[in-house]
Amino acid sequence: MAQATPSTPQIVPVKGMGPGFIPVTIVMTIINVAVALAVCYLPLDFLLPSESNPASDSAVSIDWLFKFMTVFGVAITVYVSGYVAYFAWVFRRRPDEDINTVGVPIHDAPKLEFWWTVLPTILLIILMALTIVAWKQIQFPTTAAALTTEVVAHQFYFEFRYPGMQGAVYSPKGEMHLPEGKPVKILVSSGEGDVIHQFWVPEFRLKIAAVPGMVTQLNLTPTRLGRYDITCSEYCGKNHSIMQAKLVVDTPADFDKWLAQARVTAAASGPAISLSGGVADTGKALFAQKCSACHSVAGGFDTKIVGPGLLHITDDPAHPKLVDGKAPTPEDIEEILVKGYVGPIGAMPNRQANGLSDADIANLVAYLVSLK
Amino acid sequence: MAVAATPGTAAYLDRIAVEERFRDVDPVYAETRDIRMFGFVLFLLADCILFSSFVFAYLYLRTSAPVWPPIVDGHQIERLDVAFGAMNSIVLFGSGVTMHFALESWKHLNKLAFNMWLVLTILLGAGFLGGQAHEYLSAPMNYTSSVFGASFFTLTGLHGFHVFCGVVFLTVLGIQANRGVYTGSKYFGLIAGTLYWHFVDVIWVALFFLFYLW
Amino acid sequence: MDVAAHPVEEHAAHDHIHPAPEGFIAKYVFSLDHKVIAMQYFVLGLLLMLIAGSFAELMRVQLWNPAGTFVQYQTFNQLFTMHGTVMVWLVLIPLVTGSLGNMVMPLQIGARDVAFPWLNMLSFWLIPVAALTLFASLLFPTGAPAAGWTEYPPISIQEGTGTVFYTLAIIIVGISSTLTGLNFLVTIFKMRAPGMTWTRMPLFTWATFATALINLFATVALSAALLALFLATAFNVPFFDPARGGSPVLYQHMFWFYSHPAVYIFILPAFGVISDVLPTFARKTIFGYKMIAFSSLAIAILGFTVWAHHMFPSGIAPWLQIPFMILTYIIGIPTGIKIFSWMATVWGGRIHFSTSMMYALAFIGTFSFGGITGVYLACVPVDLHEHGSYFVVAHFHYVVAGGAVTAFFAGFYYWFPKATGRLLSEKMGHLSFWLFMIGLTGTFMPMHWLGLEGMPRRYASYEVFAKAFPDAVFWNRVETASSFLMVLSVLFVAINIVVSLRSGRRAGNNPWGARTLEWMISSPAPYYNFKKIPIVLDKPYDFTQPLPYRNLDDPNQDPYPKPIEAVIPRRAPVAT
Ligand code: HEA
Ligand code: HEA
Ligand code: HEC
Ligand code: CUA
Ligand SMILES: [Cu+2]
Repeated sequence: MAQATPSTPQIVPVKGMGPGFIPVTIVMTIINVAVALAVCYLPLDFLLPSESNPASDSAVSIDWLFKFMTVFGVAITVYVSGYVAYFAWVFRRRPDEDINTVGVPIHDAPKLEFWWTVLPTILLIILMALTIVAWKQIQFPTTAAALTTEVVAHQFYFEFRYPGMQGAVYSPKGEMHLPEGKPVKILVSSGEGDVIHQFWVPEFRLKIAAVPGMVTQLNLTPTRLGRYDITCSEYCGKNHSIMQAKLVVDTPADFDKWLAQARVTAAASGPAISLSGGVADTGKALFAQKCSACHSVAGGFDTKIVGPGLLHITDDPAHPKLVDGKAPTPEDIEEILVKGYVGPIGAMPNRQANGLSDADIANLVAYLVSLK
Repeated sequence: MAVAATPGTAAYLDRIAVEERFRDVDPVYAETRDIRMFGFVLFLLADCILFSSFVFAYLYLRTSAPVWPPIVDGHQIERLDVAFGAMNSIVLFGSGVTMHFALESWKHLNKLAFNMWLVLTILLGAGFLGGQAHEYLSAPMNYTSSVFGASFFTLTGLHGFHVFCGVVFLTVLGIQANRGVYTGSKYFGLIAGTLYWHFVDVIWVALFFLFYLW
Repeated sequence: MDVAAHPVEEHAAHDHIHPAPEGFIAKYVFSLDHKVIAMQYFVLGLLLMLIAGSFAELMRVQLWNPAGTFVQYQTFNQLFTMHGTVMVWLVLIPLVTGSLGNMVMPLQIGARDVAFPWLNMLSFWLIPVAALTLFASLLFPTGAPAAGWTEYPPISIQEGTGTVFYTLAIIIVGISSTLTGLNFLVTIFKMRAPGMTWTRMPLFTWATFATALINLFATVALSAALLALFLATAFNVPFFDPARGGSPVLYQHMFWFYSHPAVYIFILPAFGVISDVLPTFARKTIFGYKMIAFSSLAIAILGFTVWAHHMFPSGIAPWLQIPFMILTYIIGIPTGIKIFSWMATVWGGRIHFSTSMMYALAFIGTFSFGGITGVYLACVPVDLHEHGSYFVVAHFHYVVAGGAVTAFFAGFYYWFPKATGRLLSEKMGHLSFWLFMIGLTGTFMPMHWLGLEGMPRRYASYEVFAKAFPDAVFWNRVETASSFLMVLSVLFVAINIVVSLRSGRRAGNNPWGARTLEWMISSPAPYYNFKKIPIVLDKPYDFTQPLPYRNLDDPNQDPYPKPIEAVIPRRAPVAT
């Protein structure tokens, strides 16, 4: 196949950046500026749900970051693909050209390479700074939550719990209500022996996983009245795709009314755990199994393993109150077992994490109260 | 494990002689040996990652556990028997030493000593496996009830499997050596076997620390 | 084991060329020849791509209507699990590292074979074994695995049988890639032709080297993760069970510690392909050789440090999110260096619009776009919205289908003549190119806004979402329709291969006028590759200089290789 007469290649020189470079650059720049303006000033509801009328405080900062990235992301994409297409076209091999024509022999251009390393770096550093600011706001809000609710995910429904409805399940496949304008904390967990799910409200721009054995949380302030979809965004089995619920953002007044009503309904349908049938001995066995990893019953409050010692839980003069500041009545101990408690000592898991049924709780409380 | 030797001494001359013999092989073989050696070292590194992954898992689970050893059915699992573990470790490390001498004997063309050391190594390796078997039968936990048991049995099981393969590997090497597969200057297989055996030892150091001492 | 290659000039006396094996089995089935093994990988990979692609099409049909009724939910779950699993582990890894790497790398470094031909054969044969293991799950009543290609516990443990087959199959794939990585590393370290220093290596070989590093060091971690999952599923070992002290999040760490580097296992060889294809068809030296070579290494190493970006909303500690985000951002920089260097390579060239070049040019655009959506996902707050949505699906199809597969096709059209000695039809090539690109855009572009609007991935039915966002139905139909263009495109590739093998034009040694070593020998390459091991004096890419090789087999080698006039259309295709 080899040619007998080696011919040296002909180089086609290029003037400047090549024909049409400046007009092409101008056109692309105009496109990018137009896109940037559109991204900044047009409502983007076709891209992000309720962008023009954000539904939560996080949505505002997340959309802002999204727009910032879109302005630069679109610009980079347009310049990269635009220049590649344009270079390929202007520097195409001409039909009448000798087959041995080659391009200009440029191996590198240190200045150019310096800039195309440094500019993206600067852009990314700015992005990092912006991200960290937004991230801090979202993950560590400064205002204390006015309301703490719990979401428990099950195959294949969400269960919602509100304070004052201990252990009672409010409409398992139903609706979650939140008050407009109040900072809320949503504790998310997964039902006993269940799998991983995710609690996602696209209008809020937030999601968090419900992981077995863990309590995760979201902090946000709903800012717009309305009905939104809650949707499960982590694969959780056969019916993953129909695992949804509704979220209703009410005015605070409506919310309070709803909550009061719900309490009544909850009290009527599922009473708080009855403590009367608790058996201390059964509780003792259960304690050894589920609690003794963290709690000693050999001594008082200061005999800590992970949590405080519980021998004198009801009769310790040095610690007359429970860790949550309430009196050590059976009902309040029950509340800690049901809801868990996060304090300076550490985190006491809630009933889902500890896997406690109503009867378990009654037995445990009976046992704890019997300790002297 | 270089033998200390000052120039001029008999040990030094002896060392030179061994090295000369090792290098003075035909270049094709030397290159093959080089390539295989490199491949074998990479294999050991990859194997190391396998153990590291499980060690990572163990550290992750252990550091996030509220108490250690964990509590199963209301009783805290007992710690492992350090004395027995230490004895068993000595058996394994001892086999590392004997393997070293086996290779050295081969290099010095002392086939009898080689055979003796190799058999001793294999016996010690088998002894270690026996010790592990005893450890498994008398362990204070099983592999399903807690992550301690899970990590312990998985990691030491993986290690035990490596020791088992090592014992088979060394046995095959011994047979091959006595059949004349290796010569005074071509004995890559023996080097690889030794390296592998030392590798298995080193892994055990980490496991012993993690499960018995910490 | 047999080592057939070593630099010639040092030990010329010992140089011996092994005779090619006789008989069908030794020649084509249990062959030790890296070129035959490469073709075996290719055939198997393409076959599995048709299967995995059919799974994708079945999913797309299901998604035509919001209340998908074409298949049952669980069947749909099995479809996306098998689609992802087969595409990632049994299509891309065999095609990109197995087939291209094996075919080209030893030729490019002037070696007679890889360092351990036996291991190479074993690596290949493990892949069909893995495929059979995976598909064996179909023999059981519960059928194929259905927990997604990521197989997160506890759902995967709940699924049971399918997961057992999945873990076993992928552990086998893992062993295969580890061995390939080991083999390639030793080959590249020890078997380069004399004079081929690290900075004279062709860029595809550089990319293969970086890939081999990941293959060796990350894949074992995958095997460990899946072994743990296997033990948890089959023997109830409590690694991932919170009731017994385990943690589901631990699995995610172990899985992604491998699987993030894994995505670079498919994209680094793709980068290498682009770096070799562009100079050849631009008739111009590669711009910034060193930066391209070292950025491959940088990406490979950084790739080990970013895994938790897949886990931002998974319940990891919030403070962990930021370092992982920053490290992920940093990967954009070496990748950008490559992209810009390729643009500069195109600038000032004399572009021949061969099919291979079309794919390579398109790759720059599609991959950049996919990479940039990756940066969106790396941004923690934005990912809290986008995670688990179709935006992620859009991102990774742009980088895998628009990136790795596109670059694979560039490499395939480029090296096919070397592998078989026949040319492919350029006309049909251009047709499949345009079909692929239009199909790609139509299928995966709308997924971006669907995901942002709130469409979660792995949904067999999106009725609720379609109520919130009525346009969803329209866009999903656009996607389904477009995805069939990609099917046509792949079918045209298959037809092209068959036609070319039966009646394609002979390629000659060097149809494209390329300059790397593989083009200095006949096509297909002889069994021993090089009769005399060449001596290398410089990088291969400078088109204005004579070839930097001595001791070539062909005494009449043109020092300025040029394309055969007729292969590449004289006119650029009008459609550009
Ligand atoms: C070939 C495969 C491939 C490649 C190369 C990449 C590359 C990248 N990926 Fe992607 N990714 C996947 C395959 C791949 N990914 C897959 C399969 C998943 C989903 C898994 C699953 O859950 O099923 C995924 C998911 C995924 C996630 C998790 C999303 C989630 O589930 O929440 C994230 C988050 O950070 C991410 C980020 C990135 C980044 C930052 C890159 C970077 O490497 C990209 C770098 C490239 C560029 C940035 C473009 C070129 C650069 C320039 C033009 C310079 C200028 C640019 C800037 C200044 C920004 N990817
Ligand atoms: C790695 C490579 C890769 C490639 C190349 C592709 C290619 C394609 N993928 Fe996929 N995909 C994944 C990897 C890949 N994918 C992964 C990892 C997931 C995640 C899985 C999970 O969630 O667990 C996923 C998920 C995924 C989904 C989301 C499922 C969901 O979350 O609900 C969808 C939906 O449209 C999809 C579609 C497609 C389509 C249309 C193509 C097209 O490009 C395919 C084009 C078609 C072919 C290449 C074959 C064509 C030929 C034929 C069909 C011929 C007919 C057959 C014979 C003659 C035998 N893929
Ligand atoms: C993961 C460890 C852990 C487990 C398991 C656990 N606890 Fe606790 N518990 C704690 C911690 C930590 C606290 C203290 C919280 C604080 O104040 O910071 C606590 C507090 C308590 C208190 C309040 C003590 C007081 O003096 O006010 C009670 C009662 C209690 N736990 C009961 C139980 C019972 C019953 C179980 C078993 C079902 C259990 N705990 C399981 C960690 C645990
Ligand atoms: Cu619950 Cu998906
Ligand atoms: Cu990743």
